[in-house]
Amino acid sequence: MPLSDKNKPRFAANETLWRTAMTVAVVAGLFALVVSTLLIANYLQMRAVNPLDNPEIVKLRLQLAQSQEPNPTLSEQIRVLDLLARKAFFTSQKQLQAGAYLLLGGVVVLALALYLAGQSRPRLPLPNPDVPAPGYWTVRARARELIALAGFVWVIGALLAAHFTRLDVPVPAATASLGAPVIPAKAGTSLPASEEQQKTQPAAAPTVTWPDWATVKKNWPSFRGPGSYGVAQFTTAPVEWDVESGKNIKWKTDVPLPAPNSPVVWDNRVFLSGATADKREIYCFDSDSGQLLWAYTLGKLEGTPDAPPKVSDETSFAAPTMAVQGDRACAIFANGDLACVDFSGKLLWGKNLGAPDNHYGHASSLIAFQNLLLVQFDQKANGRLVALDLSDGHEVYAVKRGIISWSSPACVETPTGFQLLLNSSKDVTSYEPLTGKQLWQLKCLSGEVAPSPAWGAGLFLVANDYATATAIKFAEGKTPPEPEIAWQFEDALPDTSSPVGTDTHFYLSTARGEIVCLDAKTGKQAWMQENEEGFNASPIAVGDRIYLVDRKGMVTIFKDSDSFEKLGSPTLGEESFATPAFMDGRIYARTATKLICIAAG
Amino acid sequence: MRRLPCIFALLLLLAVAGQATAAFRFPIPEFESGYQHPTPVTPAPRLIPPAVDIAALAGALSITAWLVLKRRSRREVLLMAVASVLYFGFYRKGCICPVGSVQNVANAVVGNGMGVPFVVAVYFFLPLLFAIYFGRVFCAGVCPLGAAQEILALFPVQISRPLEHVLGLFAYAYLGFAVLAIYTGAGFLVCQYDPFVGFFRLGGTFNMFLAGGILLLIGIFVARPYCRFLCPYGVLLRWASIFSKWHVTITPAECIQCRLCENSCPYNAIVVPTPENAPDDRRAGARRLGLLLLATPLIVIFAGWTGLASHQFIARIHPTIRLAERVAAEEQGVYAERSVESEAFRAGSKTPADLYAQAEALRIRFKTASACFGAFMGVAFCGRMIRLSVIRRNRDYVADQGACLSCARCFAYCPVGKEDAAF
Repeated sequence: MPLSDKNKPRFAANETLWRTAMTVAVVAGLFALVVSTLLIANYLQMRAVNPLDNPEIVKLRLQLAQSQEPNPTLSEQIRVLDLLARKAFFTSQKQLQAGAYLLLGGVVVLALALYLAGQSRPRLPLPNPDVPAPGYWTVRARARELIALAGFVWVIGALLAAHFTRLDVPVPAATASLGAPVIPAKAGTSLPASEEQQKTQPAAAPTVTWPDWATVKKNWPSFRGPGSYGVAQFTTAPVEWDVESGKNIKWKTDVPLPAPNSPVVWDNRVFLSGATADKREIYCFDSDSGQLLWAYTLGKLEGTPDAPPKVSDETSFAAPTMAVQGDRACAIFANGDLACVDFSGKLLWGKNLGAPDNHYGHASSLIAFQNLLLVQFDQKANGRLVALDLSDGHEVYAVKRGIISWSSPACVETPTGFQLLLNSSKDVTSYEPLTGKQLWQLKCLSGEVAPSPAWGAGLFLVANDYATATAIKFAEGKTPPEPEIAWQFEDALPDTSSPVGTDTHFYLSTARGEIVCLDAKTGKQAWMQENEEGFNASPIAVGDRIYLVDRKGMVTIFKDSDSFEKLGSPTLGEESFATPAFMDGRIYARTATKLICIAAG
Repeated sequence: MRRLPCIFALLLLLAVAGQATAAFRFPIPEFESGYQHPTPVTPAPRLIPPAVDIAALAGALSITAWLVLKRRSRREVLLMAVASVLYFGFYRKGCICPVGSVQNVANAVVGNGMGVPFVVAVYFFLPLLFAIYFGRVFCAGVCPLGAAQEILALFPVQISRPLEHVLGLFAYAYLGFAVLAIYTGAGFLVCQYDPFVGFFRLGGTFNMFLAGGILLLIGIFVARPYCRFLCPYGVLLRWASIFSKWHVTITPAECIQCRLCENSCPYNAIVVPTPENAPDDRRAGARRLGLLLLATPLIVIFAGWTGLASHQFIARIHPTIRLAERVAAEEQGVYAERSVESEAFRAGSKTPADLYAQAEALRIRFKTASACFGAFMGVAFCGRMIRLSVIRRNRDYVADQGACLSCARCFAYCPVGKEDAAF
């Protein structure tokens, strides 16, 4: 067989070249090893050292900063040291770079030498004595099996990834699975958008001018009225009515889903929410006719837990009262779903705040302040005060809160500015509502706190059953305000119902049916009246009268006075746990199944 | 072989030391003496006229094709590889590069529709054109990534052929994933994770050097691991090369069945003669092939569905989606502190709701992309299975036109010379 001359010498060994190449390879290898070691040492040193953190320079800088007058000597000393440190740093960096090139050269020479060594002692081709036939078919069969196995692994991996991965990004309102108004509006009322429209048309974020405090006070925007401390701005509520005969009853409307939350009112709209384990709804009523204009069913939001939360019967799935501000109303439910709708029943935004870790169920009501929706999300773990921008729901701030409670926030205009008060099961804390900055905190509560703070006669009052009622005053002219205990009362204390304050008195109503009047200045009990039924709803001060609904729906109306002067005790006709809303000449009260509007004439 | 641990150590150290050249930045000194800081100046770009780039590539491809097909010289091909590493690698810093150009072309077709610069288009198509005529000469001595690995393949061993078939599928996955990333706007992944560009630029992240170092280290024994098992452009070159008109042949004349070249190719790219006697009868093989062909559409659909099902997992490659997840978690109080990215986002004018809406739109885009990606992988799996089920009879030792990198190693093993062609 003739061999190509060109190919003949390719497998020839060259002992001399091999020895030379190996010598060069050893030298180049050692060189590269030494350079590498030095480089790594230098690199690690550089990583650890920042010339600006030189302790001597830091010390001198501190001295310079503390010296009252200019110190040119010290400045010059710092400059010299700074320059030295930088020089050292850059020198080291240059060494590193030079070393990297040297190392690269060493590795290239090493590779070249090893290549030449390999060429000088080539391995001769040595075919397998067996013919390739058996292996040919086996290789193909094995390859098919391995590819099938790889495909199987691929599918399992993809399925596992699909099962265990879920993007934790809230679905924006425009793309959330939207619910629809389930009850069609009657003729002559503003119609809500159709389901299809709601699904396809994101509610445009309007340019909103948020209502000022004066406007807010003309409405009933949250639990216990403006500021959520139980004082009505209108004093014209009727004192007489009869649900059965219809006397002074403007209208009565059935509420589709039950809940203990209270009505909120803005202009001519009344809002309520209701929920069961698997359904969450917001209702809007016409305040003049009582007609249910729309009911919005909240769909599943991103993060909405699949299983309903465990709640007590009393708390239920929609205990928190809604908040309404300007052109939008917000509701929160027991599963952490928070929704903001406009007055036509269109979802503006929605988010889930996380499943509440709460053994009775989430109960704190919402409150709005300027452009913020403030959520007291006190839970066993990860409790927080969250401020969300009403325009789109984005978080403006969140303040960590450590202790669970069922109380609702109150926002009070004090002489030193607005304060947002939050009760917890140990203390009461005041925050700046716009920033979340804590102003003060006082440890004066205990137990499972549900009552909310009251404000009257320049004092805050917080109370809870089996704890105390504590009146808090402030030293004049102190900023931030410094709280002091004005007095404490330890007798009949509220369990769920919140206290209310007037210019002269504080009133407490208990789960056992006691109504207690305390002198605002001294904390002394002015009188106590026992009611047959206990109270869940909170008393509301309407001018010089106090309205208080008991669990059976009987409303005790009495005068704000040093002695108990009953003005009337009309009834709502059935059980009630909600606190009524008081507007000009009207009362909106929620009973177990109805929303009732009471108006004189 | 006793020297090998030293080589391991050296390459790893090189990877670490390479990072030492990365630039350090810290605040400039503060002066109170009225000193005027010079305005920072970006060095002028190295202006290479596009014609030079194109000429360099065309020239390199032509020379390599000539060396492989006419000169049939391994040593000269290797020298060409060294030249390419020096020019396309160290001098041009690994960019522009046909491997990365896949993304530019994909971006024009399925991405944001941005036009492909003429030079980039040429860099994408020219090696493919050469592959159609001459085989993968680009891989042989022009691609700086391949050339660097070729040079360092000092002790190459053959891995088992079945394993070679399976590992080769990773390149398809990488190609599909790179196109998916382009379609969804997640970025140019092939460039971001280029393991060798750090060496060419003598600077880069530690992870980049580590990945490159490990690949080079493996490449000492398993030659060209990136080219064979990862390179997305290699997949396209493989397809083009299968149809090459003047592909390299092991023997310059007629194969004499001496079997000397049988184990010469570290890339398993030599097809041995088909044995006469198959273990299965012909009908069994045909039935298997028929079933496979019938099942292919179902497998592709199923693979597409698995891609669709795992789209949320895949979507996390997108920085916007990761940011939206982080911001959402921060809003829910999961994190006590905000990340740097989150801080930067909040300093801007967009609200979290905007971000969530953007993430949601991207997620929907990922659904389509992931389904297509899954289907593409289904096609790749089935294609390879079909290929392994089809028997093409050949009598001689020939190059596998798709897998052959035209490295010219096998020439030396063939005892037949050009002058033997007459026989």
